[in-house]
Amino acid sequence: MNARGQVIFKDIWKKHGEFVALKDVSFEINPGEFFALLGPSGSGKSTTLRILAGLDAPTSGRVLIDGNDVTGVDAADRDVAMVFQSYALYPHMTVAENISFPLEMAKVPKSEIAAAVFDAARKVKIEHLLDRRPGQLSGGQQQRCALARAIVRKARLFLLDEPLSNLDAKLRLETRVELKKLQRSLDVTAVYVTHDQEEAMTLADRMAVFMAGEIQQIGTPAEVFAKPNSIDIAGFIGNPPMNLVNAKYSDGDIILGGQRFKTAVQITGSRDVIAGIRPSAIRIGADGLKSRVDLVEHLGDTAVLDLDIGGALMRVRVGDENVPKEGDTVSISARPQDFHLFDPETRKRLV
Amino acid sequence: MLAGENTMTAGPAEIASSDFGRVLVQRERRFATLLLAPAFFALLLTTTFPLLFLVYTSVYRINLSMPFMNGFVGLENYKVLLADDRFWHSLIVSLVYTISTVLLQIVIGLALALFVMNMKRGQGWFRIIAILPVVLSPAVVGMIWRTFMLAPEFGIVDYLAITAGLGSKNWLGDPSLAMVSVIVIHTWQWTPFAFMVLLASLASLPEDIYEAARIDRASAWQRFRRITLPLLRPAIVMVIIMRTMVALTAFAAIFTVTGGGPGTATEILNLYAYRKSFTELSIGYGSALAVALLIVTIIISAILFAIRRSK
Repeated sequence: MNARGQVIFKDIWKKHGEFVALKDVSFEINPGEFFALLGPSGSGKSTTLRILAGLDAPTSGRVLIDGNDVTGVDAADRDVAMVFQSYALYPHMTVAENISFPLEMAKVPKSEIAAAVFDAARKVKIEHLLDRRPGQLSGGQQQRCALARAIVRKARLFLLDEPLSNLDAKLRLETRVELKKLQRSLDVTAVYVTHDQEEAMTLADRMAVFMAGEIQQIGTPAEVFAKPNSIDIAGFIGNPPMNLVNAKYSDGDIILGGQRFKTAVQITGSRDVIAGIRPSAIRIGADGLKSRVDLVEHLGDTAVLDLDIGGALMRVRVGDENVPKEGDTVSISARPQDFHLFDPETRKRLV
Repeated sequence: MLAGENTMTAGPAEIASSDFGRVLVQRERRFATLLLAPAFFALLLTTTFPLLFLVYTSVYRINLSMPFMNGFVGLENYKVLLADDRFWHSLIVSLVYTISTVLLQIVIGLALALFVMNMKRGQGWFRIIAILPVVLSPAVVGMIWRTFMLAPEFGIVDYLAITAGLGSKNWLGDPSLAMVSVIVIHTWQWTPFAFMVLLASLASLPEDIYEAARIDRASAWQRFRRITLPLLRPAIVMVIIMRTMVALTAFAAIFTVTGGGPGTATEILNLYAYRKSFTELSIGYGSALAVALLIVTIIISAILFAIRRSK
């Protein structure tokens, strides 16, 4: 029903002198979508968000919001709301004044402001703190205040720059859930920057994975998890990350540690590959590749084993029953479709 | 107190060590007192004593040209002062001088600071050049302006006035122009101070809240009014307090430029007290004038500090 908040990024480049921060970034965000920009620090995801917000200008390329070219339009005229990583609350104003500021700037009648402010504060559960100043709030409360300031205006785009990174672990999980509910109930397009793949996986409808200023993959979290299209993404998504080992490929099979495994890949001929396999996809059974357990990490309901495979490390996630002990020898195998093969030269996925 | 209570339950070893601690503290305090004493006495001698002596002389008639009349007169000097038109006139001149110079310093200083903040390059040079007037002695500044800038025909300001078609003006001879001149001179010398303080304060403001304000659709003027000004308020009030104290007690620049003239047009309270004491040699009455200035200064600073504390 909400047709507002469509974003198109077309061939965006951003250069700081010699340094190229963004290389030909293009993507589309659908109205009402929760879209995550995921990547390690310095990968260009925050720069992308700032260009979308209008805080920075791209060196070349075009930004379209709802079909209008806004490349040269200032942040003030883009009708977007943003939550900053540092929250960026106005320190001299009370919570209520902070939240009402965007409404006052938009010349909303005074009589409507008070109700709107209270409503926004209630949505993020800080209605009892309206008279406080940011300096008197805890980190989590400041974060909520920043959220309230962003949602009070009903902007067409809701931008979040690592909003949870300054919260402690427990609060982060709670707020994450609330954020998702909030976005659903407001029915607004959200663009979310994070370096935490778990956050992106849980929150996003779709995500773009950034590496070194480029988008390497766009898709739903499930797609990206199931079919990472480069070694870098394979190693970035998932916890613990995907095991990546050198192997020989020939006619559908790979040879790993002297053992032959079937894969789902159908390429004729033989070549060197990098084989990837998720820690959770490895089966411990009667037959397969023999390897020694170097270390056991108990995580409660699961355990992570560090296996030694001819000098290479392989991590396996197992259930909490019959966990092998350190020093044991186990046999591991995997289903053919669980092997991901990558080209060691181009680092891309082999189909 | 607490240490003493602890020793009640502690063993002998702790008692000894806590005694040792107390001795150390005592010794340190004695040493600190010793270090502070010279400065303390110097201050007492150079500020407190002269101040008390001033109050003392203000209740005597001391006239060096008529020493035979000298003697205790009680509050006679103050009674005369309250009925003295020239005192009220100089008080008003002082207030006009102070208010206008402080206001001008704040406004120009803030404008310069905002301008320099946005300069891409050359900030360092601007700061060095801007600070030059501050390091000059006010007496030297007065001389520079009287000869270099305001002298009829040859002075730069007068030359510019002639070139602009305003004609040669008697900058220091015309009563109202003379007042404007001394205000401009003081502002010229001390605006860099306000500029430096406000620039430092501006530079310390977080950048992200300006980005948040842009996203919140605040215009440049609204960002200045609603964010910059309130956040600069402590620095502005501090500058006002410091500059008001100095402006109220200004002396050298006016003394060298106009000497209080023409007539009494630029005669601030300070200058009047000086003239009474050292030109007319009526030291008792001069002291009473100085005490009056002291009282005015204390009242104004009390008001300013109250403003600073509020909110």
